[in-house]
This record gives sequence, structure tokens and C-alpha cells, in this order.
Amino acid sequence: MRVLIAEDDDATAIPVERGLRKLGHIVIRTASGQEALSLGAESHFDVIVLDRMLPSMDGVEVLRRWRKSSNPTPVILLTALGGITDRVTGLDAGADDYLVKPFAFAELAARIAALGRRPPLATAQTRFAVGDVTIDLLKREVCRAGQVVHLQPREFSLLELLMRNAGSVVTRTMFLENVWGFHFDPQTNLVESHLSRLRSKLKAVSSSDPIETLRGVGYRMRALA
Amino acid sequence: MREIWSSAAYRIAFAYTAAFSVMVAGLGTVVFFAADANFRSQQDAAIAAESDELVHEYRNGGLAELRENILRREADSIADAFGYAVFQADGRRIVGQLDTSLPAAGWQNIVFNGPADRSDPARALTTPLSHGLILVVALNNDAVEQIDKIILVLFTGALAVMILLGTGGAIILGAYIRRRLERISGTAQAILAGELNRRIPTKPAGDEFDRLGRSLNAMLDRISELLENLRQVSSDVAHDLRTPLTRLRGEIDAAIEGAANSDLQQAALERALEQSDRLLSLFSAILRISEVEGGDVARSFARIDLSVLVADLCDSYCPVVQDGGRSLTCRVMPAVEIVGDRELISQAIVNLLDNAQIHTPAGTNIVADVVTASGNAMVRVADNGPGVPMADQRRILKRFVRLDVSRTTSGNGLGLNLVSAVATAHGGSVTIADNAPGLRVSINLPLLRPAA
Repeated sequence: MRVLIAEDDDATAIPVERGLRKLGHIVIRTASGQEALSLGAESHFDVIVLDRMLPSMDGVEVLRRWRKSSNPTPVILLTALGGITDRVTGLDAGADDYLVKPFAFAELAARIAALGRRPPLATAQTRFAVGDVTIDLLKREVCRAGQVVHLQPREFSLLELLMRNAGSVVTRTMFLENVWGFHFDPQTNLVESHLSRLRSKLKAVSSSDPIETLRGVGYRMRALA
Repeated sequence: MREIWSSAAYRIAFAYTAAFSVMVAGLGTVVFFAADANFRSQQDAAIAAESDELVHEYRNGGLAELRENILRREADSIADAFGYAVFQADGRRIVGQLDTSLPAAGWQNIVFNGPADRSDPARALTTPLSHGLILVVALNNDAVEQIDKIILVLFTGALAVMILLGTGGAIILGAYIRRRLERISGTAQAILAGELNRRIPTKPAGDEFDRLGRSLNAMLDRISELLENLRQVSSDVAHDLRTPLTRLRGEIDAAIEGAANSDLQQAALERALEQSDRLLSLFSAILRISEVEGGDVARSFARIDLSVLVADLCDSYCPVVQDGGRSLTCRVMPAVEIVGDRELISQAIVNLLDNAQIHTPAGTNIVADVVTASGNAMVRVADNGPGVPMADQRRILKRFVRLDVSRTTSGNGLGLNLVSAVATAHGGSVTIADNAPGLRVSINLPLLRPAA
């Protein structure tokens, strides 16, 4: 994927750039808002990582101008401001995701992967299949090895997120944000409890575990069961 | 003197005195002129009557009758009464003792030579008679002048007394007000100088100065409570940061030491990461609380169906609670609506559900419910665990208060504080009660539509 990083703090930007290159992405980095604006408008990127506070032009302003000129590139807004209203302004300006500093590199990488694979709305996919697991979003039906698996609504949402991101990692905070709408971290194992129920329901059909745990990072659907 | 003019108390008291003095002086002037005019017109009326009578006598009995009348009147009259004179056309006085030259006709102010050879001013009416004779009747001004003098003396005296008393009163009043205010400013100075516990002395009876003093004292108490809170928070933050920072340092140390053994190094680095995550979550909790307390969150308030929200959260939490070996029961009154920030309310309820699990043993039953009472929606989370001693029930809402002194249990001591901050930001409150056995925490929030 082609990723643009607009971030003026080198201590944040350089490790991210190095990490993304290691994952095989093509990375272009800038530290200026003006430059980010023209780069984003002139060349194609799959995902843009945009810092909220940039010299020469504010990140939110850059984002607004892209959206005004109908630039649909998915944007992850990075910010040191974690307040509720800050997040609302960021999302209102057209951000697709919002990540509060400091963050783990794995978290950003997972979100970039998730955004990069997101299909345009017009061709929204309603059916996904990974290995022997299939999920039908319209019928709200999950099958494993041809057998219907009955899931609770939360379990269904967890699986949906995993299936949409098949092959890449879904982090705990991505689950919390997408399934529960929580932008905070509960002290108890909310995600883990639901995932373990989802797992055992899937394993009741066929003993292999279709969900892989990556310690300290997140969860991933196994490409082949 | 300058000190007196720079004092508002003195200025007000003096201005008052001056205003009253001007009023008394004005009143005196008006009374003086009104009385004077009145007396003079009475005097004129008396002169006119006397003159008419004599003219009448002259018409009836001629000059002889007039002369006799005048002589009789002069003989009868006491001092300072009327004076009479009849002049011939050539200006010679032929009758009467009024020693004056011939005045012009009509009303005149004249000067005559009085009995003791002094010049007296008088009011005179000059009436021409037939045969070139002229009658002059005069009344001297002594009486009017006497009355004018009395009025003048009275009012001048009153004014002098007024100014004297007023100035004295102003000085006393000014000094009193200054003394009362100095007690307040003295206390303020002492507090500025560092005696933070000084308070303004007040009497229980309570005039306006005492009331002011009491309000200021209440304000000072509140400020010092906040200061104390701030001091406590800073020292708690410092303390709470030191432990994870020390551990973090230790792990980094271990990682450097273990450079030769990559497994040991990896493990140490992972633990270091864990410690820094703890620090970061502590910071985000502190920041979240100050955001909520800052009051800006009201901008994102919207209608929330609390019943649906709580039922949904219970649904999400059932598996977690069961995995921990406890049970969760949910009893929700339908259609309880409030206005608020969905995420903050969720976080507050999640914190209560987390607490009910973290601080209770396995086997505990947790009950979450939503009820309404007197215009409030109440979300209650109760457990039948060990509970919290009465003495600590209010304290646990405060920042960094953890009842476990060893500070080893998970949690940063900010959970309930956030719940309390969220409730306050929504115009509500948090109450802690004994669930006998166990603990019951209620978030009370104003209903969107309180039942009539």
C-alpha cells in the first residue's frame, strides 16, 4: 500500500515509517501541512496518516480541504488531544479513524491495514468467507463447515470485524471502538470474554481454532483453517 | 486630611452632611424671604387702612378735624407706631411729628428723624388731599427688621449646629465603617502574608458586615479545601507515578543487564512496556477527569435512552462477570430518558460494573438496575460483597482514594472519581450506600421529562 505520513515530530514519524516499510508498504513522509495538502491532492495514496497539529497548516484544515475537493483517501488523524470534543471535530472534518498519541505501532499498523482494505461504499460487500467460516451480513448468519453457528449480537459483530479484516490484525481497541463504541479501556476483560465465547461456538462445529491470538497486539482470522 | 478624603466612608458621610447643610440653608433662605415679604405686605395694609381713615376724617371735617385726629393719635400712640405728617403744596409740614421731607406720591421707603435724633427707615404712603394738602402716613421698619433678624439668627444657628453635628457624625461613622472594613482587609492581608487559616471575626447577631465576613469566610474555606485537594492530588500523582516509574526503570535496567540473553531481555522489555502502559492509562484517566470537570463536554450532549443503554451494557458484561465466577442481574425500568454524553455515561456505568467485580470475591451477585425517583433517573449497581465501611463511603469518591493501603490491587483510584465527575457534569450526583451486605452505588441523573 502507498501510505502518506504527515507528522512533524520525527520521534513519532521515523519509527512509524521504518515499521511500515518493514511491513512492505511504500511510505512517503512530510513534516509540513502545506506539503501534505499538495501531496495528498496530486498523487494516489491508499491511506494517509495525518497529524492534527502541523506547521504551516493545521491537520484538520488539510483534511477539510481534501474532502472539499472530494478526495476520498482514508485518513487516520493522529492527535495528542484525547478529549471527546476533539474527536468529534476530527471525525466531522472527515477523518476515517482517530488515534490518540502515544500509541503502539502495532495499533497504527492494524488500523492502516483495516482502512486500506475498505472497499468503496458503492461496492459494499455483504458476504465474507475465510477458510471454512462464512458470514452473511444481510441474513445475519454465520456458518462453519456448512453448519449454521448461532451467535449473540456482540459475538456476530466481533466476527464481522475479524472477517472484514481477514489476514490482518484487529486490536483490542478496534474491537472496543467498533463493536461497543467505547473510546476508553474498561478494566475488565470485555473483549476477551466475548471472543472466548465466539471461539468456543466456532470450535463446537470443527475443533480447529479459526481465530489466532497475537499476544500484545490483537486477533486475526486464520487464512486457512 | 488626605487620608480622610481617600476614605469612601468619610467621603460618603461628609457628602451627606454637606447635602443636609445646603438643604437647611436653602430652606432658611426661602423662609426668610417669604416671611419678610408677608410682613411687609401686612405693614402696607395697616398703613393703607390708617391712611384711609384719616382721609375720611379730612373729607368730613376738613383740615381742623384731620389735625385733631392726628394729634390725638400721636398722643395715644406708643413708640414705633405710626408717624403722621400733613404738608402744604410748598413742602412745609403743617401738622404731625413725622420729621421728614415731602416724599413723592404713592408708596415710598423713606428715612425720618426719630425721637432720639436717629435716622429711621420707614414705609410711607403719600396721599394728596384737596387744596394742595398732602397726607403722609408712615410706619417704621423696626418690627419687620426684628423678625427678619430672628429668622436669620435661628436658621444660622440651626445650620451651624447641623454642620457641627454632621461633621462629628461623619467622623464617627467614617471611623466605624473603616474599623469594620479594616478587620476584613486586615484578615486579607494576613492571609496574603501566609496565615492561610486566618478568618474574618464575625458576631453571631450579624449586621451586613458580619454577613459579608461570613460569605468571605465561606469562600476562603472553599478555596482552602480546593487548595488542599490540589495539594493532595499533586502529591498523589507524584506518588502514583513513582511506583510504575521505578518499576519501569528497573525493567530497563534488567534489559540492559540481560543484553547477553535475548530471552531475558525480551521479557524485561515486555514488562517495561506494561509499566509504561500503566503510566499512560493513569494519565489518560487524569486527563479524562479534568476534561469532564472542565465542563466543555456539555456540547456533545444528546438524548439517551438510559434503559436501553444499561440493558445493553449488562448484556455485554454478563459474559465477563460470569467468567469471573460472579453473577449479574439486570432490572431495568423501560423508557427512562436523560440528556447526556453517551460515551461518558457508558464509561461511568462500566466503571461501576468493573468495580463490582474487581473489589468482590468470586460468587458475588451483582445487580444493576434503572429506576426513577423524584425527577431523577437512577442507575444503581449493587453487590453482596464485603462492602465499604461507613466511614470510607464518602471518601471513595475522591481522587486516588484506594481503600487497599498496599496499593497493589489493580485500579488507579480514579474510577469512582470519574463516575462522580460525570454525574456532576450532567447535573446529577453519586450516592454510596450500604447494600447490607455489600455496596450500592447510584448515579442520579436528571430525567429528560420528569413525571408530572
